[in-house]
Amino acid sequence: MSSAITSAMPQTLVAASILSAAGIVLAHANTAPPPFFYFLVPIGLLVLAFIGFMWREGILLGVDHLNTVIGQMFSWTILLLTFAICYEVVARYAFGAPTNWAYDVSYMLYGTLFMMAGGYTLARNGHVRGDFLYRQWHPKSQAWTDLILYVLFYFPGIIALCYSGWDYARLAYLLNERSSSTPDGPIIWPFKAIIPVVGVLMLLQGLVEVARCVQCIRTGEWPARAHDVEELEKLILEEAEAKRLAEEGR
Amino acid sequence: MFMLPLTSKKRPPMTPLKAFLGSVLFCAVVMPLMLFPSEAGAGSALKQILGPVVSDAAMGIIMLVLFIGFLMLGFPIAFTLMALGVAFGYYAMGETVFQLFVQRTYSVMANDVLISIPLFLFMGYVIERANILDRLFRSIQLAAGWLPGSLAVATLATCALFATATGIVGAVVTLMGLLAFPAMLRAGYDTKIAAGVVCAGGCLGILIPPSVMLILYGATAGVSVVKLYAAAFVPGVMLAGMYMIYVIIRAWLNPALAPRLPEQEVKVPTLTIIIELATSFLPLSLLILSVLGAIMFGLATPQEAAAVGALGAILLSIAYGTFTFVKLKESAYLTARASAMVCWLFVGSAVFSAVFAYLGGQKLVEDFILSLNLSPFWFLILTQAIIFVLGWPLEWTEIIVIFLPIFLPLLDNFCIDPLFFGVLVALNLQTSFLSPPVAMAPFYLKGVAPKHVSINDIFSGVMPFLYIVVFAMVLFYTFPKIGLGLPEYLYGHKSPRCEAQQSSLPRLDGPMQLSAATGSEVRCPWQGTGPAGPGA
Repeated sequence: MSSAITSAMPQTLVAASILSAAGIVLAHANTAPPPFFYFLVPIGLLVLAFIGFMWREGILLGVDHLNTVIGQMFSWTILLLTFAICYEVVARYAFGAPTNWAYDVSYMLYGTLFMMAGGYTLARNGHVRGDFLYRQWHPKSQAWTDLILYVLFYFPGIIALCYSGWDYARLAYLLNERSSSTPDGPIIWPFKAIIPVVGVLMLLQGLVEVARCVQCIRTGEWPARAHDVEELEKLILEEAEAKRLAEEGR
Repeated sequence: MFMLPLTSKKRPPMTPLKAFLGSVLFCAVVMPLMLFPSEAGAGSALKQILGPVVSDAAMGIIMLVLFIGFLMLGFPIAFTLMALGVAFGYYAMGETVFQLFVQRTYSVMANDVLISIPLFLFMGYVIERANILDRLFRSIQLAAGWLPGSLAVATLATCALFATATGIVGAVVTLMGLLAFPAMLRAGYDTKIAAGVVCAGGCLGILIPPSVMLILYGATAGVSVVKLYAAAFVPGVMLAGMYMIYVIIRAWLNPALAPRLPEQEVKVPTLTIIIELATSFLPLSLLILSVLGAIMFGLATPQEAAAVGALGAILLSIAYGTFTFVKLKESAYLTARASAMVCWLFVGSAVFSAVFAYLGGQKLVEDFILSLNLSPFWFLILTQAIIFVLGWPLEWTEIIVIFLPIFLPLLDNFCIDPLFFGVLVALNLQTSFLSPPVAMAPFYLKGVAPKHVSINDIFSGVMPFLYIVVFAMVLFYTFPKIGLGLPEYLYGHKSPRCEAQQSSLPRLDGPMQLSAATGSEVRCPWQGTGPAGPGA
């Protein structure tokens, strides 16, 4: 029992961090922005979760797991998005009472969904590659190209995202900026703050990917990735391949 | 040697790679220097040094060629685009590029057209996991029993319907490859026809609305998604119909290719057929038609229809008794990853294309194509040929998000309706799944097919369907009413009249003036975003 609690501890901390951040934002939705040190609570919780993951699985897998958990938790915004828009549809067409929040909420949920899943997608090697040559190479050459391009392209781009996103969100925070697409629009700085937050998470995940490349260069084989759920075609193809190998083995 | 399967671990020698890299570097760095002499301008410190030697437009071309070179190295494209955009932007405009970068990023996050993408993906993943395909295929097969080549026709119809609902090509091809392909082989069908039918049918999902591809095109080209859906509907259904007619004719001319099923399998009471259809075919087509109808008749926006469709898909899977929390979780996770993949690509491309336009590379490409003095017809042939060739190595997401923005601004000069162009591109991209060497659909089918089916059999089976796609494109070009009739009827859509062509010609008289001033108009692939560029 206690092992179940300790094993779910970091996940709980991530969830608590998300909830506390959402709580702070919602509590100050109609007033001036809260002092920045309020956000030390969700950030602290996140760091604790991070330490928890690292404690259990080492630094690299810990980052991997942290990004996965964050991506998975924010995946559920798709369900929220579905329900929010359906509610608006029913309210508008059945009761003739359109909401004034549905538009802002829908793009915010969509933006949160894909930004927060960025690190998760990277952890699952899900970002699209032009890999018609790449996939025929030996893993070692793949790892060398990846390693060089991570240093050359990935980190400068993501650091630029953190740097510019921070200024962008800070300005919106100082001005207590509100959405202009609806009258009396909601505050917009929390949504803009997603950019630097995702930047930091992607930066951490990039370090893990670099470690993967280094390991591959050393051993000549790609280290296995954790996997939770795969596209159906991938599963079917793997199954067919395994069956074929089993038949040939006999 | 181009037909290495996906799982091949063969190691090609490294020398061609080095030669390739060398030629890329040569094309990227040396040629623009020779072709485009420079003019002085303001910018970063590096530009103060390089400015007298390299013009901005040359830098733009360097950037494009470098991108195409690095694209082939297989690094995640979104980050390649981002890094090149920021680096070249920093070179040209200094610190301002960071503001440009974050504004482009934010414009993708707050884009109200792209909201439909995760919703339609979610709907697709939920339907894909509802175990609906077996029943659908069986019922359509029973209903089509009297036709020549009935199994193949049923496969095409099932593929078209299921692919339309899910919009995920790989899943449809592998699932049908396990279900319909062995059934056809057992019934004595020709391997090639059976393979062609599964591959071609599975790809229809990205053409027939509601499809994610058309949303992406709409967001890139600034065309209304509603009109696009209306315009692509008839051509999509027409293509599916043409596939079926082709199969029926082949089976009718040569029954040995597609033998009829034995009597006892065809003779089923009509009532059974009706019940089977009512429980599998009807709900799914009703779901699709209501989503599509709500969009096309203006009852709901695409986002709203997509959300209702996703909810409908959940209800459908509850009704079939296949709904579980685990499946919902899997669908949500996969949706998050797939939308992150598409939207991060959009973020990268937004930065890249803004900087490319700022440098004047876009202008240079436009001037070059205009200086060829093409007629609109040859312009269309040229662009479609380029898209067709790009479809060999690349997937449709990359083509639409990265390469189409280069052609789109030119449509005005040739007074081609972006709507018309969009449907033509959608038809064309069907081939990107089917044409060797990197054809997703045949390789997926190969992965699940019995051992004796070779990849070359599958490719030669797919060929006739490629010709049908080309024929459909010719047909659509000759009679644009096929597609544009519906938007014209529903929304009074009007294609631009052809007078612009004359007025665009004088631009070509003088020498190409490519100063920083002409490049300062930042063209971005979609509308509705704030001002961006040096003055913002």
